[in-house]
Amino acid sequence: MSEIAVEETAPAAPAVTPLVAFRGLRRNFGETIALADCSFDIVPGEIHALVGENGSGKSTLIKILSGILAESGGELIWDGKVTRIADPRAAQQAGIATVFQETLVLDQLSVRDNVVLGLDRLFRRVQSTADETRVVREALDTIGMGALDPDMPLGALSLAQRQGVTIARALLRPWRLLVLDESTSALDVDARDRLFEALRRFRGEGRSILFVSHRMDEILDIADRSTVLRSGRSVATVTRADTTTNRLLELMSTHEEAQAAEGAVPTAPQRAVGAAVVTAKSVEIVAGSGPFDLAVRAGEIVGIAGLEGHGQVAFIEAVAGLRNPAQGAVETDRGVVTSFLNAARAGIAYLPRERKTQGIFAPLSVLDNLTISALGRFSRLGLLAEARRRAEGMRLIAQSHVTTPGLAAPVAALSGGNQQKVFLGRLLALTPRVLVLNDPMRGVDLGAKQDIYKILEQFASAGGAVMLLSTELAELCLLCDRVAVFHNRSLFAVIERQALNEQALIAAMFGQTAAARGAG
Amino acid sequence: MKFKIDWGAYYWPALAGFALLFVGNIIANPIFISQDNWRPVLLGAAPFIITTWAQTVPIMSGNGDLDLSVGPLAGLVNAVLAMTLPDLGITDPFSMIAIALAIGVVSGLINGFLVTVVRVQPIIATLGTFLTYQGLTLELLPISGGSAPPWMRVISGSVFGVPGVFFVFILIAVAWWLLGKTAYRRNLLAVGGDIRAAYTAGINVMWVRIMAFVIAGVLAAITGIVFTATIGAADPTIGTPYILTSIAGVALGGVAFSGGQGGLLGAAAGGALLFLIENLFSLAQVSIYYIQIAYGAILLAALALNSVVDRARRRRAAEALV
Repeated sequence: MSEIAVEETAPAAPAVTPLVAFRGLRRNFGETIALADCSFDIVPGEIHALVGENGSGKSTLIKILSGILAESGGELIWDGKVTRIADPRAAQQAGIATVFQETLVLDQLSVRDNVVLGLDRLFRRVQSTADETRVVREALDTIGMGALDPDMPLGALSLAQRQGVTIARALLRPWRLLVLDESTSALDVDARDRLFEALRRFRGEGRSILFVSHRMDEILDIADRSTVLRSGRSVATVTRADTTTNRLLELMSTHEEAQAAEGAVPTAPQRAVGAAVVTAKSVEIVAGSGPFDLAVRAGEIVGIAGLEGHGQVAFIEAVAGLRNPAQGAVETDRGVVTSFLNAARAGIAYLPRERKTQGIFAPLSVLDNLTISALGRFSRLGLLAEARRRAEGMRLIAQSHVTTPGLAAPVAALSGGNQQKVFLGRLLALTPRVLVLNDPMRGVDLGAKQDIYKILEQFASAGGAVMLLSTELAELCLLCDRVAVFHNRSLFAVIERQALNEQALIAAMFGQTAAARGAG
Repeated sequence: MKFKIDWGAYYWPALAGFALLFVGNIIANPIFISQDNWRPVLLGAAPFIITTWAQTVPIMSGNGDLDLSVGPLAGLVNAVLAMTLPDLGITDPFSMIAIALAIGVVSGLINGFLVTVVRVQPIIATLGTFLTYQGLTLELLPISGGSAPPWMRVISGSVFGVPGVFFVFILIAVAWWLLGKTAYRRNLLAVGGDIRAAYTAGINVMWVRIMAFVIAGVLAAITGIVFTATIGAADPTIGTPYILTSIAGVALGGVAFSGGQGGLLGAAAGGALLFLIENLFSLAQVSIYYIQIAYGAILLAALALNSVVDRARRRRAAEALV
């Protein structure tokens, strides 16, 4: 790989003075090196993409730039001067506005308060409520959410709208560099298009954008240049003309991984499909949304898709026993699912979307995280049989392709992708019959995605049933035997493998009947 | 701006409970609402209400913030006003009030510094200052004594037929309302709601929290002034009981212990509730021990109710996200 690095670390240097330049920026947390050596420039009036797998140092770099972390070494040159950004306030005063990956919002406050958050001093307000309302509307309008009532409590908003609020919060600051850290993930297509339109307009005004996304199509669409990070090092900066998905994948991963990610699909093997394991019978997600049936059979991977807020999440939560449908029931051969506990007893294992808050136990070890749901299996007279538990831990690590320094390592020290694999391993420890997965590949690096694909394939081949909710359509096309598409809080279409492609999915998500129809 | 009644607001249970007990007190003793009784009732309720207000502000700032020193600080201010300052020949209202409030500010800065800069757990940090203030009070005033200066009759007596202490409430309410017009209230709710959101948005999280303790200190100092006016002297044990009641009052007032929610209206109702209970018990000549038991039980019941309400609210929010 080094030849690529040599070839590309010095790209045709732009003649303009960079707005920000990183020179050998480093950051370590104790022994862990999060950022090893990062050097690149962002010039005024460019949209610069930052690409890399999870754990490649993107988040660390952004946190340094936003004043949340201090660098351990190297230089950050802002507007020609070596600068150390002390805290988020200092970043904003310098003209850096960041939209973080997490939607950091306050449910109790109004939309307006959430958007103008932090502009004020301790006691002094910088503008009147009327002025606030005006600028908030303008900022929200940029992403097509201008109709949102600024007085509405934020708690009533959908995830997409919440993300819109965090974007608006950054937009109305007097920024020169806008940092978007995977902040388009929850937006619907329309809002994202409008945001991109606005970003191009800002670029025309000579302002700069640092853009992080796991979505190649977005990067190809909007980035003028892309810098690739790998293991905390900036390996290359490529210009728009040289940017292709293959090129970026190649740069951010080792060769094998790039090939695996791009082409080498886990080619849908002939799996023996058995009897229905979970059946939704006349389920209505909310009263009046229309009943539907859906059966998931053993040995099958069924995709669940839909635009944000169209009921697909509520549906899989109903399958997992986390909520009750308004009408109808989810049934297994062991009875009707009425609670999380009885769903679990029926062999349904659920992986929630929020790994950090609903998934892993950050302070606990990899072994504890893997076995915590199945401790009963290792207990003798109420005491844990450590040797058996460790053996099972080793088996699960192998089965889930987890890369870890050891069973005793704190799970928080692993990369996001590896944490997700540990989480999945915990579910496998329960020897479930059905895996219900809520967007498991969200924010997971390519290597880990490949591993998770393999895990799901193996699970299904062994006769397990998988319900896979994913926001990445390519992934659904890759993995699923069929995809159930939700629209207006009901099942809209089930697309079989032979008819499965992104266009068909998108059409169905938007309620277009062109795609193969028929539920059941 | 049009006035809207928010029936879902956090303070309704507290107001309802208050109304219920108010009627209960009248039934138990019809003299309770006679005009002559207003003054002693308000004076009796004042430390309950004002210490609950004091406690509310740090609790609203979330992150486990609370101030165990509010009661003892009020006691310390009482000792300083009735004993130390008269001994030094300082008896004019202006100096006395200024010194009392300054003690409150300094105490708030100390608590806030310990919690945000030294990063001691709030419950431990303020336990430390609580014990310190108690010791300091006993050092200044080993037994009850001293005397309140004559001008304090403005508070303990009546002005134009209205109990003087009523104006203390009004002053605090107006100050809080004015504070709500500044950015501080919003900053406070943000820090209490999610400190990371507040920090990354550029709010000076440290000073928001320190100011919450300063406001608590100032309100505790005002309680100290009211104590002095009420008993006309100093009593080294007067403040301590109000630690527990201030926390119970906050819980009863519907203020979320997780922070980021609440206000002085609910807290006032919560504090007043406790006073009404005590009043009812003393009318019924129930032993003081039972009052303690009742406070403990009420505190637990209020916390349980809070969490039920909170869960229902979260469930509604989750359903809205479908």
